[in-house]
Amino acid sequence: MEERERKSAKPDSKETATSSCSRTPSVPEREPEADDAAGDDDADKTDVCSDKFDPLLALYSPTVQVPFPNVKCFNNVSAYESFLRGGRGRAKPENVEKRRLKAMKGVADPERIERLKKLMVNNPTPQSEEGESSGTARRRRQQKPKKNVLTRMPLCKGSPLGELYRCVEERIRVKVHIRTFKGLRGVCSGFVVAFDKFWNMAMVDVDETYREPLLGEAFYHEKALTISRLFEKLKLQESSAGEEPEKKHEARETATKQQPADCTSERGHSRTASKLSDSVKTKHKVSVKAQGPEVCQKKDSQTYGKVHTRHINQLFIRGENVLLVNPQPL
Amino acid sequence: MESQGNEPQPSGHGPAEVTSSLRERTIAENSMVILLQGLQGQVTTVDLKNESTARGRVVNVDAFMNIRLKDVLYRDRKAQLTRLQELFITGRNVRYVHIPDHIDIMKTIESQLAKIHRVRNFASQGGGRKEYTKKTK
Repeated sequence: MEERERKSAKPDSKETATSSCSRTPSVPEREPEADDAAGDDDADKTDVCSDKFDPLLALYSPTVQVPFPNVKCFNNVSAYESFLRGGRGRAKPENVEKRRLKAMKGVADPERIERLKKLMVNNPTPQSEEGESSGTARRRRQQKPKKNVLTRMPLCKGSPLGELYRCVEERIRVKVHIRTFKGLRGVCSGFVVAFDKFWNMAMVDVDETYREPLLGEAFYHEKALTISRLFEKLKLQESSAGEEPEKKHEARETATKQQPADCTSERGHSRTASKLSDSVKTKHKVSVKAQGPEVCQKKDSQTYGKVHTRHINQLFIRGENVLLVNPQPL
Repeated sequence: MESQGNEPQPSGHGPAEVTSSLRERTIAENSMVILLQGLQGQVTTVDLKNESTARGRVVNVDAFMNIRLKDVLYRDRKAQLTRLQELFITGRNVRYVHIPDHIDIMKTIESQLAKIHRVRNFASQGGGRKEYTKKTK
């Protein structure tokens, strides 16, 4: 179309006879729509848009009307060719693009606005055809599995953490042994809601039984605290408050009951080995303790070293403090 | 936009703000720290490993479980009370964090994960940088 415009502008400008003669045979080739029709209306023949356009006539006619008024005029075809190729203000594709973008700099580009809209959160915008790359990227990201703390919980199947996940799923009550700087602090009995690879756990309905660690000489002399001893001490504490000998018998029984619970707590934790041996030892020592009330009373008169219990509705435990986790058999 | 591997500096607009460090975000996203981050703004008790407790409003929790509390009642293991305006607890010294009863654990985790998801997608989805390359057309 541009070619047609420029060709029709030429009749107004002077042309060298040679160039025109040499060019005219090729002109009809360049004009795909030009018709070499003889005769008919002059107006028809010089009208660029008509079927009967005669380019030779148009070139020499002084009365040709240019369909596009603001067309760029050239003195000859070679000037036009040079312009097409780029010339001094070279119309290379990338330059053309650059100049266009520069010109459009301040103008609000609707496509850009669409792109920005797509970025907005909770804004369901229709995808433009232009955004094919961002569209496929988003689809790829959606297909990629999300990995976060919640999705990682079921992935542990087959490992000790997988057992813990089973307790989460099946809402099995667990006993979590908590550690002090050296040894056992106490037990948290509750339901696990969520956990992670560090054994950080979020638990609900927690009953904590614990004893603050002894320090100094007492620490040096005390026997290592175990679960059985812990509950034994608790019972004795309660019993010494009421001073009933039956409770001491109960204490012995509960102590022996604790033993199988400890045995079943093997969940691939190596530390249970030492605990088992300890609890085996306590089997013998329990009776000694039960029959030695004066020792217990001495402990109670001290204001520390007591076993405490408390109930906490929702608790977060840092995994570092977890000694072992003991699912309660149903 | 943001440099990766930023040191854990809170951006400080409010307790609901997700950290701007990519490293911290991923650590938080894949661990239970995210639950503690959801407690920002709540009054809780933190039990420390040294048998002391600190009760106050959670200002900020970072990916390493470092906790910043304000208007704190600190009770040491001798049960001696101290009032503090600000308290910073190193993550390693935490034993328990009591979660307030009205908090739904799963919902808090999910809402925190959604916040991270939003921040992550906004930053990377061809928005900031790719906007100005030639190839956009």
